[in-house]
Amino acid sequence: MADPSEFELLGRVTIGQYMPTGSVLHRLDPRAKLCMAAALVATVVVSQSLLGLTVLLLAVLAALALAHIPLRFALAGLRPMVPFLLLLALLQVLAIPQYSANARVLWRWAVLTVSDRSLIAGVLLILRFCVLVLSLSLFSFSTTTTELTHGIEHLLRPLQAIRLPAHEFALVVNIAIRFLPILAGEAERLMKAQASRGADFGRGQRNFIQRARMLLPLLVPLFLVSLQRADELAEAMEARCYLGGKGRSHLIQLQARLRDYVALSIMLILAILSIHLNAIQADQVLWTWLAKNLSHLL
Amino acid sequence: MSSTTRRIVVAGVLGAISIFLGASHLGFIPWLAGAALTIMHVPVIIGAVLEGPWVGLAIGLIFGAFSLLQAAIAPTGPTDVWFTNPLVSILPRLFIGPVAWLVYKALQRANEVAALATAGVAGSLTNTVLVLGALGLLRFLPWALIGTIAVTNGLPEAVVAAIITVAVVAAWKRIETGRKGSTV
Amino acid sequence: MSEPAAPLEAGQPALIRVMGLCHTYLRGTPLETPALHGIDLLVAPGEVIGIVGPTGSGKSTLLQHLNGLLRPQGGEVFVNGVRLSDPQADVRSVRQQVGLLFQSPEDQLFERFAGDDVAFGPRNLGLSADAVRERVRQAMEMVGLPFEYKDRLSTELSQGERRRLALAGVLALQPRVLVLDEPTAGLDPQGRQDLLRFLSVWCQSPGKAIVLATHNMEDIAELCTRVYVLREGRVILHGPSREVFGQCELLRQMGLAIPVAAEAMCRLRQRGYAVAGTALTIAEAAAALKALIHG
Repeated sequence: MADPSEFELLGRVTIGQYMPTGSVLHRLDPRAKLCMAAALVATVVVSQSLLGLTVLLLAVLAALALAHIPLRFALAGLRPMVPFLLLLALLQVLAIPQYSANARVLWRWAVLTVSDRSLIAGVLLILRFCVLVLSLSLFSFSTTTTELTHGIEHLLRPLQAIRLPAHEFALVVNIAIRFLPILAGEAERLMKAQASRGADFGRGQRNFIQRARMLLPLLVPLFLVSLQRADELAEAMEARCYLGGKGRSHLIQLQARLRDYVALSIMLILAILSIHLNAIQADQVLWTWLAKNLSHLL
Repeated sequence: MSSTTRRIVVAGVLGAISIFLGASHLGFIPWLAGAALTIMHVPVIIGAVLEGPWVGLAIGLIFGAFSLLQAAIAPTGPTDVWFTNPLVSILPRLFIGPVAWLVYKALQRANEVAALATAGVAGSLTNTVLVLGALGLLRFLPWALIGTIAVTNGLPEAVVAAIITVAVVAAWKRIETGRKGSTV
Repeated sequence: MSEPAAPLEAGQPALIRVMGLCHTYLRGTPLETPALHGIDLLVAPGEVIGIVGPTGSGKSTLLQHLNGLLRPQGGEVFVNGVRLSDPQADVRSVRQQVGLLFQSPEDQLFERFAGDDVAFGPRNLGLSADAVRERVRQAMEMVGLPFEYKDRLSTELSQGERRRLALAGVLALQPRVLVLDEPTAGLDPQGRQDLLRFLSVWCQSPGKAIVLATHNMEDIAELCTRVYVLREGRVILHGPSREVFGQCELLRQMGLAIPVAAEAMCRLRQRGYAVAGTALTIAEAAAALKALIHG
């Protein structure tokens, strides 16, 4: 069956899916969720401890359950990535020479070396990715884009005090998100008009020359139309006395509740725990403990 | 003279284009061995050239944040594993705009079109070098491989970025690009 | 839905044949929207077909099936014998034979110089540079634009000239069927007259046909031989224009206007005056009134 959705771009332009399950996580203040997401990303990036990451992984899985998101659905996003994950983990384990300095080499063949550090790095890669994917997916399942933009705006407001353009940037994000469907519509119209005159936008095997020739007549008018609309929007805003963010009042006020503080505290505890496990080299401790006691058990 | 309102709106609109090119996969041009040339950084360059370094920074931030989100929420390939790290996806992208702007300003008086093309190349190379650099420093890839990718992907990507930048900005600002009439 | 009785010339196959066409947008996603539910349509050479209906009735969706932009999800579409539901169908040739002009086509000009935009189609056909030039010249002259305009910036042309340029871009493909979506929307009266005159002359060449989707009933009255009335993705009414516009009550219930002349005759009939037939143009209405007064 020929691909009937050759031109249906609008359907593909979604930034994550929102699943309204009405759980407590959905009702958290978006600012809390943003802070938690940021803290989580930071902790994951910094973490070198298998234990620490495992703790985070378990926490995210618990959060998914709390949000009434079916686990199979959440993991479905990970499935297509498994081959790539394994490949890249293998790359880490075998082919990064930087690990072999100051590490115990376990196996060597030509340019490939396996050291204890590279092994751990491989597992860490997989763990980090899983935690990040699951937690950011959870974030997108439980937060609408409107909440997101409000949250960003409110969070950035205190920065206004130190002369950083918080309100302006939040407005930029807002405009971008609202402009997306319009853009998709324009692109679709352009593609259809050009396809009607023989341009070939079919998906599938496309080599570089064909793709490049097909793109330029599409891109230039897309940019020009967008810039034109930007001009019109700016004029319209100024015609309605938009003078910048100073002293502007807001229609939507966000109220922080007890549950938000509770959630933030939990996140803080998890982050500290994870970093602490990192700092005390908990992995080493666990290995040595296992090594000692397993020989007793066996 | 450009107003703040104008800058905000242009940043938003071009940020949307960057997101759109990524989300719809129109921004991926197939290249050798499965890797693709990408053009999602071109709106950053164009925004910087038209409205200044701050706008370039804002669009770069949007581009970076979206590439992180896309890598985490709907991953489709090996690169998405790396881009879940903000040091790879967000930090390098903040520099694309300011670098492109500096290069453009430096050459603008000499020749407008050359300035645009060079800004396109410079912005694109900034993206390539800083992202690959992050991948190297974080030990995701061996340096030898990084060098190869920089040349085989980074250079053609820079050329494509230059072409698009010139085409769009010249048309927008009604600059003469040398052709005086149709080629019919 | 039975096949409409169309005046097919003996032995000549229909240019376009649509049977039981169904289409749903974004099928399989939460944003699924059904658009067409079993449409039958026939376009024979020499005809000017009108498609009317309220917004959202599926007119644009139907038009996009006529040149293969959208492929049938259910039912069949045949263009000059090419079956569009076949994944191997030669869509490129269909798009050359059926030229589709979208709404506000002047917004879709993308080349810097006017001539290049018209040349886009012929170049995609792989014609030689000389052949392309000849096609562009012919197309531009057909729409009343001097060939010298080819070197002008598209942005420098007036809106009417830009629309003519867009039409030239489609004509340069030398299609057999012209499909137009709201072609006169936004044009001044002179521009509209010029376009309608051009269209009526164009489809008099042998083997050509026109399909016109519009809200503007006067356009239908002036040009169309047969009309299809669409509502919510279904054909509610079809037939020769006179017959269709005679059903003023039904059309009014659907929220559709009818040509002024037909409306006037309709209201007269409602008040008990025995006016003959259905008038489509002012001239016909005047003649009918004269007959009524003197007869």
